[in-house]
Amino acid sequence: MTAVQPTAMMSGRYQRAFTIAVIFLVAGWHLAGAGGQLLRDRSAYGSFAFQGAMWLVMALAITAGSVLILRGAPGWRPAWAVAVIALAASTAAAAASPAGQMLAVNWAWGSAGWTGVLVLLRRRFAELAWFLAAEALATLGVQVWDGLHRTDLAGFLAVLAWSTGAQVAVAAGVRALDVAAGQAAAAAQSEHAARERAATAETIRAARHARWLALQESAVPLVAELAAGTADPGHAQVRVRCAVQAARLRRLLAEGDEVPGSLVHELYASADVAERRGVAVEIETAGPLPQVPAPARRVITDAAIAILTAAHSQARITLAAVAAGIAVSFVADTGAVVRLPAAGEGVAIEQQQDDGMLWAEARWNSR
Amino acid sequence: MEQPVTVAIIEDHPVVAEGVASWIRSDPGQRVRLVQTAGDLTGLRAVSRPSADVVILDLELSGELVTAQIPGLVAAGYRVVAFSGHSDPAIVMETLDNGAHAYVSKEEGRDYLVKAVLAAAADRPYVTRSQARAMLADQRPARPALSEQERQALLLWFQGMSKASVGRRMSISENTVRQYISRARAKYAATGRTAPSKDALLARAIEDGVIKPGEIVPYKSFARVAADRPSLDAPGR
Repeated sequence: MTAVQPTAMMSGRYQRAFTIAVIFLVAGWHLAGAGGQLLRDRSAYGSFAFQGAMWLVMALAITAGSVLILRGAPGWRPAWAVAVIALAASTAAAAASPAGQMLAVNWAWGSAGWTGVLVLLRRRFAELAWFLAAEALATLGVQVWDGLHRTDLAGFLAVLAWSTGAQVAVAAGVRALDVAAGQAAAAAQSEHAARERAATAETIRAARHARWLALQESAVPLVAELAAGTADPGHAQVRVRCAVQAARLRRLLAEGDEVPGSLVHELYASADVAERRGVAVEIETAGPLPQVPAPARRVITDAAIAILTAAHSQARITLAAVAAGIAVSFVADTGAVVRLPAAGEGVAIEQQQDDGMLWAEARWNSR
Repeated sequence: MEQPVTVAIIEDHPVVAEGVASWIRSDPGQRVRLVQTAGDLTGLRAVSRPSADVVILDLELSGELVTAQIPGLVAAGYRVVAFSGHSDPAIVMETLDNGAHAYVSKEEGRDYLVKAVLAAAADRPYVTRSQARAMLADQRPARPALSEQERQALLLWFQGMSKASVGRRMSISENTVRQYISRARAKYAATGRTAPSKDALLARAIEDGVIKPGEIVPYKSFARVAADRPSLDAPGR
């Protein structure tokens, strides 16, 4: 059988692929797009060395951002630290560009925006919006400082529209893909769960068939004797036999696909043994039950065996989901306190005796 | 002496109907009087006035689930006690949501059916173990918020303890145990679809001091319950 892929792990794999795609996009832009423009316009800058230094700072910010995002969704402090460094480097590069030509030779605006997309990719969308707005305002601020003309403003708006538009589109696209990956993984997971349920149902069906065969040897002869008049319903022993067979029939009817999980089936097995001794046993479950590890199950079934062995004629076993675990309880006419196995393996056992009825509860806690 | 509560049995298996009738007859106080037995619901639909205070309704008639018929019965003025071999919590919840006063599984009938009928006639909750089980198992997002004490009382009752033993276990009186369980049930009456029977249960719970109007506010305004209350005294209820 193949190992189960938890939903989170599967959708996580898709998310990682999207992250790597974005890293390639951002690094590619910075190397080819921004780097190419920097080299082409090298003679236009007042200080090419300063622009080159800022380009390196931005490259370091992108590297740091890539490491952060590959390690998982970064917290707001590291994400914003990288974003602010990118913003500062791009503003400094813009401010050091020759007045009047700033937009034409600006390589940094795009790179800073992409760096923001990278580190804020998996954070709230509003954060990216704030960052891109701050980046645009900083660039506009530099332009206003240099003296803004109408043609400059038109250029600014054109660059804003295409560069920021592309950045928002990529961020939104990744977000949509994340959602789709989550859904695909959930669908695969539920398909797996359905297959597992079908297998459990088949196991239960086989067990039920076995019990039905057993009924042919126990309940059917009893009914035949009652019908023929050879068994007297007024006789105490016949009544006990009837009670036991009725309990067994009820369990057979109640045992449904809703209660997979080995603890329930181990308790059913203990009940079968007690029934052969003439004890009527009911088993009921409430809620979707957690899986209990084998050592804890052993403590619980040992308690069940001790109590069912001491029961005179009736016992009720219930399994209920409780916060962070399961409560397995026993109510039986034992007449006296029962020596129960020691608690352990995360199982706590309590008991109380009231008028010959024993109540005991084994509570397993997953924490 | 009070008038006995009148009851109709809707059950398609004559042997089960006979058994229910014998439980009613063997009640020492003779507090319930059987007025009608039928294999389906047509007889109840035909009359304009409710012919009994309480209907004991088998949830499966001629192989079909009849939970969807409960709102109609409730609207006609009947109080419904569901009596069924289906102990699936989802069916129990649907039965209560549709306005049944109580749910009694066939295994519990001998011990609880007459008690549940009497409680229903007085618009008081009666929570059987199978009903407690369904409430504990409830995972629906719209389920009411139960307090820790209410959950614990429901859990111990479901586990099979007597209410006196539950009280000893929780170091409270048996009466307080009943209060907790009734309050949990009343919270359910305040959720889901509306039904006159649920309003009546709630109004009585408030009157009895089981629940305070403030405790049910998130799901239904007290104003609505109060507005429905005068109809309790109207004839036919």
